Amino acid sequence: MRFKIFRWKAIGPLLLLFAIITLLVVIFAEPIARDTTEEASTELLGTQVDVGKLDLHPRESSVELRALQIANPFALARNLLEADEIRLKLNPAALAEKKLVIEQLSLTGMRFGTDRKTPARPVKGGGYAPQLLRTVEQWTKQFDVPLLSLTPIDTIRQLALDPTQLTTIREAQALVARTDSTRNTLEQGFQQLNIGQTVDSARGLAQRLSATDPKKLGVEGTRQAIASVQQTLTEIDAAKKRVEELERSTRAGVELLGQGTKVLDQARQKDFAFARSLLKLPTFAAPDIGNAFFGKVSIERFKQAVYWAELAQEYMPPGLLPRPAPGPQRLRAAGQNIQFPKENEFPAFLLEQGKLDFSIGGTSAVRGAYAATVRGLTSTPSLYGQPMLLSASRRAGGSALADINVHAVLDHVTSRTRDSASARLRGIQLPSFDIPGVPFRVDPGTGTSNLDFSIKGGGRLFGRWSIASQRVRWGADTASRSLNDIERLVWRVVSGLSDLEVVAELSGSMASPKLEVRSNLDEAIAKRLKAVIGEEVARAERLVRTKVDSLVADKVEPAKRQVAAVQTQANQRIQAERQRLDQVEQQLQAELKRLTGGIVPGIELPKIKL
Amino acid sequence: MLTLLKLIQSIIKTLHSEGTPGQVAAGIAIGSVLGLTPLMNVHNLVIFSLVVLLNVSFGGAMLGWALFVPVGFLLDPLFNAIGLGLLQSPSLRPLWTSLTNTSLLPYTNFNNTIVLGSFVGWLLLTLPIFFAARYGVIRYRATIGERVRQSRFYKAVTASQVYNWYRMFRPS
Repeated sequence: MRFKIFRWKAIGPLLLLFAIITLLVVIFAEPIARDTTEEASTELLGTQVDVGKLDLHPRESSVELRALQIANPFALARNLLEADEIRLKLNPAALAEKKLVIEQLSLTGMRFGTDRKTPARPVKGGGYAPQLLRTVEQWTKQFDVPLLSLTPIDTIRQLALDPTQLTTIREAQALVARTDSTRNTLEQGFQQLNIGQTVDSARGLAQRLSATDPKKLGVEGTRQAIASVQQTLTEIDAAKKRVEELERSTRAGVELLGQGTKVLDQARQKDFAFARSLLKLPTFAAPDIGNAFFGKVSIERFKQAVYWAELAQEYMPPGLLPRPAPGPQRLRAAGQNIQFPKENEFPAFLLEQGKLDFSIGGTSAVRGAYAATVRGLTSTPSLYGQPMLLSASRRAGGSALADINVHAVLDHVTSRTRDSASARLRGIQLPSFDIPGVPFRVDPGTGTSNLDFSIKGGGRLFGRWSIASQRVRWGADTASRSLNDIERLVWRVVSGLSDLEVVAELSGSMASPKLEVRSNLDEAIAKRLKAVIGEEVARAERLVRTKVDSLVADKVEPAKRQVAAVQTQANQRIQAERQRLDQVEQQLQAELKRLTGGIVPGIELPKIKL
Repeated sequence: MLTLLKLIQSIIKTLHSEGTPGQVAAGIAIGSVLGLTPLMNVHNLVIFSLVVLLNVSFGGAMLGWALFVPVGFLLDPLFNAIGLGLLQSPSLRPLWTSLTNTSLLPYTNFNNTIVLGSFVGWLLLTLPIFFAARYGVIRYRATIGERVRQSRFYKAVTASQVYNWYRMFRPS
C-alpha cells in the first residue's frame, strides 16, 4: 500500500476553520483593539486611559477613537486630557512590519483638567510607569520644605528633651568607642614595634665596646666588632622605619578622632535645630517663609514635569542598539520583546505629524480656538533624526491680556539628550491651594503662570515656575479652630495684600535637587513677625541652647578629653621611642668612630695578614 | 469535566487507532509544539494546519499538546534564557534586525524570548519526542493494549458520537 503524506480531505474543514477565524476577527477586532489600546496605553503612561469607542477603517488604513480620557496620575479624580474624537492615519507598509507609524493625527474636542465621573484606578504592578510614579513620589520627599510654625511661644515651657533623641550623645558614645579602639590599636602597634630588644642589644654592645681597648682587639677582633656595630645600626634603622610607619598610622587614627570631635560640634547644631523644632518656634527668616508657603505647591508642579520627562527618557531612548521591553501579559511567562531598530527603516512607533485642535469656552479671557502640533514623537529618535517638537498657541488673534503658549523639545537623537518645555499662560484662572501648616487658603484668581523646565542627559535639572496675580483672595479656615495670636498677625499681613508673586526655582541634579522659593509675602511677613515676636524667639532659642548643652556636656567633654589624651599619649610615646633609638645610635656611632680611629663608618677596612 | 473526558477519549483512541506507531509518534512530536510554545502565536496556526493536512495522527497531536502544556510552563525560565541568548547574540543581530524589518514576520513574535526559546527548544526536542513516543506506543500495543481494547470502558468511549468526528482525521 502506498503511504500518503497529505490528508487532502482535511482541506475543506481547515478552510472552514480559517473562515470562522476570519469572521471572529472581523466581529471582535474593534472591541479587542479598544481593550488592547486601553490596556497598553494605561501601562505605558502609568495612568488610566479610557476609550469610549474604536472604529477601524482598513481601506483607509485609519483608526478612529472617540471619548478618550486620560486620567491625571497625580489627581485621580481629574482627567489630564479628554478628547471627543481622534483620527489616526496609519502607514500600511509600516503596519505590515508590526510598526505603528501615524502619518497624521487629528484630535478634536480636547479639554484639559476635567472632572471624572468616577475616580481613576491607580495603576499597580511592576510596569515602568507605576514604578516611576512611586520613584517620583519618593523624589519629592527629599526636599526639605519647612512647615510654617505659628504656634504661640508660651509652649517653650513644655520643652522636654529625651537625651536618647539627641544626635550629639549618640555621636559622643560612638567617638568614645572609636577612641578606645584607636588606643588599643596603638598599644598593639607599640608592642609590635619591639624596640626594647633592639635598644637593649645596642646598648649592651655599646657598653661592651666602651670597655674594650681597640689596640688589644687585633685586626680580626676589630673587624668583628665593626661588623657587629654595623649590623646593630642596620637593626636600629629598621626599628626607626617601623616607628615612622607607626607614626603615620597613628597620625591617621588621631586625625580621624579629631574629625570625630568636629562631628560632635555639627551634631550639636543639629540637636539645637531639633530642640527648636520641638518648641515649634515661629520662623521669621524670609527664605523659610517663601519655602513654607509655596514650597509644596511648587514641588507638585515640578514633580509632574519630572515624571513626563523621565517617561520620555525611557520610551524615547537614543541610539540604535537592540533594546528589551517586557513581553505581553499571558498565562505563560511574559519574557522580553527585543526590538531591533534598523537605519532607513520605520521605528516601532512614530507620530509624524499631529494636529490638535482645542477650544476654551466660557467667559474667561483665554476663551478661543487653539491649535497644537506634535511632530516626530517616536520610540527611536535616532531613526527619525530630529527632535520631537510640540507647540500650542491660539489659532486666531484674541485678547492681548490672555494667551496660552506651550513649547516643548525632546532631543533624544544622540546620547546627549536634552528635554525642555516652557508654558506661558496669561489671563487664566489659577488654581487655589492651601498653605501648609496654617489654616489659610489662597485663591490667586486670574493671573499669569509660567513654567520652564529642562533636563539634560546626566540628570542636570533646571526648573522655574512662577505665578503672578493682582487679584488674590485669602481665606482662613476658622470653622475648626480659632486663630492664635501669631496666626492672626500673619493673617493681617497676608489678607491686606492683593498682589501675589511667587517664583520657584529648581536646580541641581536628579539625585540632589535644590529648590528655592521666593514670594512678595516673605519680607512683609518676616518683618512683621520679627518686630512682634523676635525678642521672645531669641530668648527661647537661648533656652534651647542651654538645655541641649546641659544634656550633652557630660558626654561630649569626657569624649573630647579622651580624644585629646589619646592624641597626646600617642605623640609622646612615638617621641620617646624615637629618642631611645637616637640615643643608642649615637652611642654606637661614637664607638664605631673610636674603633676605626675616625674612619667614616661604612668604609671597609683593608684586611691585613699578621 | 467534558474536556477531561474528551482528553481521555482522545488518548485511548489514539493509542488504539489504525495509525502506525510512527504516525502517532509524529502527531505527538508535532503537537507538542502547541504545548511547549505560547499558544496564541502565528506559528501555531501553521502547526495546526500541518497536523490537519499531514497524514499524522490528529489524536496524537492533541495528546502531544496536552502532555507538553505543563512541560512548557515548567521550562519557561529555560526557554527565556535560550531566547535571550539567541536574541542578544552579536553574531545573530543582523539576522534578527533583518527579520524584524521584514513584512509580516514580526507578527510571529519571534523577537519574544519565550516564543523563540520555546520554539528552538521544541526543534531540539522533536526527534527525541518522536522516537520516545514511537517506542512507547509499540510497547503499549504489545503489552496492555489488547486488554484495554477488550474492556467495557474502551467500548463505551469508542461508541460515543465524538469518535465519529475523530475518525474523519484518523491516519489512513
